[in-house]
Amino acid sequence: MGSIFSRILGRLWGDKEVRILILGLDGAGKTTILYRLQVGEVVTTIPTIGFNVETVQYKNIKFQVWDLGGQTSIRPYWRCYYANTDAVIYVVDSVDRDRVSTAKEELMAMLEEDELKDASLLVFANKQDMAGAMTSAEVSDALGLSTLMNRQWSIYKTSAVKGEGLTEGLDWLINIMQK
Amino acid sequence: MDSFKPKFFATSTKGENAELLVDLNSEYRDRRKDAVKRVIANMTVGKDVSSLFPQVVKNMQTEDLEMKKLVYLYLMNYAKSNPDLVILAVNTFVKDTDHVNPLIRALAIRTMGCIRVDKILDHLCEPLRKCLGDDNPYVRKTAAICVAKLWDLDQERAIENGFVTMLQDLISDSTPMVVANAVTALAEMQESSATKDVFVVNVAIMNKMLAALNECTEWGQIAILTSLAEYKPLDSKEAENICERVVPRLQHANGSVVLSAIRVIMMYMRYIKSEEFIKGLIKKMSPPLVTLLASAPEVQYVSLRNINLILQKRPDILQNDVRVFFCKYNDPPYVKREKLEIMIKLCNEKNIDQLLSELKEYASEVDVDFVRKAVHAIGRCAIMIDEASERCVNVLLDLINTKVNYVVQEAIIVIKDIFRKYPKRYEAIIPTLCQNLDSLDEPEAKGSLIWIIGEYAERIENADELIENFLETFLEENSQVQLQLLTATVKLFLKKPSQSQEIVHRVLQTATQEIDNPDTRDRAYVYWRLLSTDPQAAKAVVLSEKPPISAESSSNRISPGLMDELINNISTLASVYHKPPTAFMGNKAFSADAVRKAAVADARDEEQITGETMDSPSGGAPAAKNAMADLLDLDFGSSEPAYTSPPISSSKPVSNNGPNYSADLFDMSADMPSNTGVFGGMNNMGGMSGMGGMGGMGGMGGMGGMGGMGGMGGMGGMSNPPAQHPAPAADPFGNLGTFGAPPQQQKPATTQSSTVNDLLDLF
Repeated sequence: MGSIFSRILGRLWGDKEVRILILGLDGAGKTTILYRLQVGEVVTTIPTIGFNVETVQYKNIKFQVWDLGGQTSIRPYWRCYYANTDAVIYVVDSVDRDRVSTAKEELMAMLEEDELKDASLLVFANKQDMAGAMTSAEVSDALGLSTLMNRQWSIYKTSAVKGEGLTEGLDWLINIMQK
Repeated sequence: MDSFKPKFFATSTKGENAELLVDLNSEYRDRRKDAVKRVIANMTVGKDVSSLFPQVVKNMQTEDLEMKKLVYLYLMNYAKSNPDLVILAVNTFVKDTDHVNPLIRALAIRTMGCIRVDKILDHLCEPLRKCLGDDNPYVRKTAAICVAKLWDLDQERAIENGFVTMLQDLISDSTPMVVANAVTALAEMQESSATKDVFVVNVAIMNKMLAALNECTEWGQIAILTSLAEYKPLDSKEAENICERVVPRLQHANGSVVLSAIRVIMMYMRYIKSEEFIKGLIKKMSPPLVTLLASAPEVQYVSLRNINLILQKRPDILQNDVRVFFCKYNDPPYVKREKLEIMIKLCNEKNIDQLLSELKEYASEVDVDFVRKAVHAIGRCAIMIDEASERCVNVLLDLINTKVNYVVQEAIIVIKDIFRKYPKRYEAIIPTLCQNLDSLDEPEAKGSLIWIIGEYAERIENADELIENFLETFLEENSQVQLQLLTATVKLFLKKPSQSQEIVHRVLQTATQEIDNPDTRDRAYVYWRLLSTDPQAAKAVVLSEKPPISAESSSNRISPGLMDELINNISTLASVYHKPPTAFMGNKAFSADAVRKAAVADARDEEQITGETMDSPSGGAPAAKNAMADLLDLDFGSSEPAYTSPPISSSKPVSNNGPNYSADLFDMSADMPSNTGVFGGMNNMGGMSGMGGMGGMGGMGGMGGMGGMGGMGGMGGMSNPPAQHPAPAADPFGNLGTFGAPPQQQKPATTQSSTVNDLLDLF
């Protein structure tokens, strides 16, 4: 009896996880961001062939954060992970001006997906610590964020290595989701 | 009211997989775990859940070990059906091989190795390198096996990445289990290696293996012992040392370890010069072999087949243990049969009495087949041990007096062999045998008795009546019996011409005119010509001295070359079948070649190009050659004595009275080898089934033991003597002239070659 009760309670509040996807082209810094959020440190990473998933506790909310590999060969499989996603964090390498258009194409294709129609979009203009990085406005323009309809979105400039801008982004997310 | 309508169709539209898909994506951990369990449950009952692959893989990264194992299980099963999606799992694998828990590290590398998909190979190398150098021996030993799996898929990659070298280094590992697995992996790789340089056992490796031998698990021990067998010791001293270190393995509870150890010892014995040491080894090998006979019947059978081999190689082993091989009432038939074989091999003057009373017991059991084998065994003992032959014959006589039909028949069959071994020694029992004439209904027994009557026609007063008796049913008899009757009648005639001229005439006429079987018909022709041309020659041929026979029927004898190979393969299937591994194993690279060879042999067979099978164009097939050499060995084993049988002095002046016949006969004897050549070819093709055919041949060879004397022996003999005899003088055979030439003047050559062809069809 007790176990059933606790299970019901758990269903209501405890175990439910907020599911967040971290997407972006290869080398944008997704895995670094994930572990910066989880353990608060910079870890050395290797290209992610597949995915990482970690539970991140932030302000009493449990996020289940999925970091998917960004290589061309893996991008087609992003769609396998869209189901039940509450928010997407899209990471862009602000220094890599050449591939920003590719980043835009991938982003737009992703947002078309039916399973993601209710998901909020948080864009990280990453690698702000490096010289020659685009500003968030530049990135926003390059991605065409302003053209988005029916979508809660925001963009933050971040540096995963220095840990700047990440918490601000998450705060925005929590704010949106609690509405 | 609407809401109360039952929903018959609503739930089933999407199916179970759709439900599972939803649950696998659930936000709740316990629900996901439940779903994975249900997926595995469905998988194990054979439902296709491969479409859930990406969803299942999503659950792979978890701290929950139970869940992880389930997902790994799923991956191993369905990776093949979703080769592209497998890369989604790579990152998790890589992370798991870095996990703090060595069990998870090993689990990850093992599962990765089990995923036989090319795409994963690119990502396998790094984790594998890590695991091969892992601190934990459990991870290292798992990684060692993984190298062999990689090797199987991509040899070059395994070499380029240095895994082979790393594996070779693992032989020096401090943990015996790692050494054993490295040896297992390397031995496996060596087999499929093109250059055969992956695993060459040298002194250093051998010493390391010996050091690990005592410490590792039973399977590791088997692997090490098997690899030790590959090593060629430098001198007698080294072989002795190795044997000494291997001997403790004989005490192991696992039969396979024991047999592997025995194999090593048997092989190394060849290099040991000290007789004393060999004696000691043989003494030490006996008790474990005896112990093996206490296990389950299947294990007993395998042990017995191996013991059979070992005994043939080292007859002095188990000499005092014959009692162990006595059959228990509840032994399965196949075990009893093997035990009988071994009892016969162990029989000597000391234990013969004990053995005989035991065999006599068996002869009163209910299992007909076993009883016959037991009776047969008594006969073989008689042939093996001269001093005991009388006792054996007495036992056989006792058995004949039981009047049990099949016992009597079998007894007569072996007594025929005893008569051949000890001619003229036991004639006194002939009357007893003849009393049982009427109870014989099997061709072999009938044939045997007829042979005895023909052979001892001069001592049996009413031989002509007896033969006459048999002749009443001549046309209905089996061809074996017909051949025997033919020969016996001719012998009778040659021994007692006055009484049996009419009989022999009648038989030959019947055989040549009314019998379609070319064997019988042609033998009748041969006799007829022989008798009509030169009765002296006929006498010399038909009544010639017979070569001695040995206890081992030729079908049981193993040639020394094969013997060595089988000893090298003790504790494998080869030693159970008593056939070289190549005869029944189509291993990967070889099988295509074997098929091609078979096709070549087939085509050849049709073209009737025989006898040249050895020069097969595809060459490099020692296996087939071996098998064929065996077969030839076997075949000639039975016919060989016949070929050399008639010791006719060739000093007699050559006269030219039968040039045609002798030429024809030459012709035919020239045909004979080619005939066997075809059998060789068939054996090539058929493998096992070919061996079956050979068994038939062996059976016939057994018959040839007596028929061979008259038939094959006759023919073989005729290839030289007939022409060398002077024209028949006026003697008791003068009246042979009345026979004249055979009525139908067929060309003998054609009939004979048709015989050969028919024989081919027969087999």
